[in-house]
Amino acid sequence: MSHTAKPTALRMGIPIPNSKLGLWLFLGTEIMFFTAFIGSYIVLRLGSKGWPTDTHDTHINVFLGGLNTFVLIVSSYLVVVSHEAMAQKNFSKARMYLLGTLILAFVFLGIKSIEYYGKISNDILPGHIAETSSQAIKKASRELEVVVRKRFAEYTSSGAIPTERPNDIVNLVIQIAALNTATRPENVSEATFKALQDSAPVDVALHSRWMDLHQHIVANVSLKKPATGPEYVAASAKLEPGEKLPELEYSEVTALLTEMKADKTYGTYVTHGVFEPHPVVYGNIFASIYFLMTGFHAIHVIVGMILFAVVLRQGSKLDGKWTDFVENSGLYWHFVDLVWIFLFPMLYII
Amino acid sequence: MSHDAYDGQVAHSDDRAHDTHHVNYLAIFFVLCACTALSVIFDVVHLSKPITIVLVMSVAITKALCVMMFFMHLKFEGNWKFVLLAPTTILAIGLPLALFPDIGASYYTPTAPQVTSWAEEIRNDKDRHAEHAAGTGYSEAGQVE
Repeated sequence: MSHTAKPTALRMGIPIPNSKLGLWLFLGTEIMFFTAFIGSYIVLRLGSKGWPTDTHDTHINVFLGGLNTFVLIVSSYLVVVSHEAMAQKNFSKARMYLLGTLILAFVFLGIKSIEYYGKISNDILPGHIAETSSQAIKKASRELEVVVRKRFAEYTSSGAIPTERPNDIVNLVIQIAALNTATRPENVSEATFKALQDSAPVDVALHSRWMDLHQHIVANVSLKKPATGPEYVAASAKLEPGEKLPELEYSEVTALLTEMKADKTYGTYVTHGVFEPHPVVYGNIFASIYFLMTGFHAIHVIVGMILFAVVLRQGSKLDGKWTDFVENSGLYWHFVDLVWIFLFPMLYII
Repeated sequence: MSHDAYDGQVAHSDDRAHDTHHVNYLAIFFVLCACTALSVIFDVVHLSKPITIVLVMSVAITKALCVMMFFMHLKFEGNWKFVLLAPTTILAIGLPLALFPDIGASYYTPTAPQVTSWAEEIRNDKDRHAEHAAGTGYSEAGQVE
């Protein structure tokens, strides 16, 4: 009995290219990666009564988030038609669509940057957000101190006040207060010294306001009452046993900051240096989650851009050998879109 | 670009016929755009929180299904997609469920201190006070050195 028929090829494994199988396995790990974040977010959110949802608190911009969703959807569409064009061997058309995708990826990151800038300029950053009134008061005082120290640094860095202890704020304020009667050091120009002499009373006044707030915070006494010196001792002596001076309240501090920001002399420094001291309960965990998830998503966008750039770099040499690469890059890009499809409602709307 | 061995044969992507299913991608694109607009509308129209969550997540799942089925071609792939994706999906659902009893139910109160920033603040304060004390000739204990 003769065996003339050719044996059929052994059929093993999954009937898809190895590269595509590898990509899908990779996407499986990516699903788990983002699920860890999304799952943690769901769990933390469910466990946090009073999670910040007001856009005034979170500085979430729903319009920009929606616009970015639209941008990613358009880019996903362009990738899929690019792959279709590759399959039809219309490589110039495929290149054009991929270029469109790459441009839209830049647009996405640009919009994301605007959003990040909005958060950073309002100090919506992990670990920076006051969650209670007392934290908000102390944060405002810390920021005010930074403003004062920055002002004082102008005197030390210019050499108008020669000192070996540039951080000793008490020593500095004494010297700045006496600047009008001080002799100009040789290494400081006359104009600079004159300007600093003019600004000295303003900066001393600014320091005085901060120091007053700081002392009231330390003593935890209302701004309406003295917090230090003989007056404080006298006021405390008048108290009955168990009685306390009225405590410092958040509303007093916000009123003080509003007044300071409106001041014609040092108001600008305070406005630029002190954020709105608005306590946001769970604000830090919100900010952590927001930046973690959107940050890792943005990294994935950048990786996708690199993949598209590799294809586009081929220029007119792009041919059918790149079809699988374009398909796999497209699958990756759709996954990036897919993640954003869930991030948008969870972070921006809900 | 790629030289893949599968089905017992060595195939070149140039030679292999790529699956070209007749999908109206533009229609899918418009569905996705409409869904995005719906999400924003659900946010603008003030509905109760649970209803908003249900509606918005339903729209998100619809969009995800559209992308996976048509843009990622899963609708036209073989059963291998279940083999690859089912374990991941089960684990993805299981993770939040497993975390919830320990962490989700209660994890920290709003008055918990921001440990890192406070520690840094205290350290800075100590440094500055030490510098001031050194300048004025007072030790930390308040005694003249």
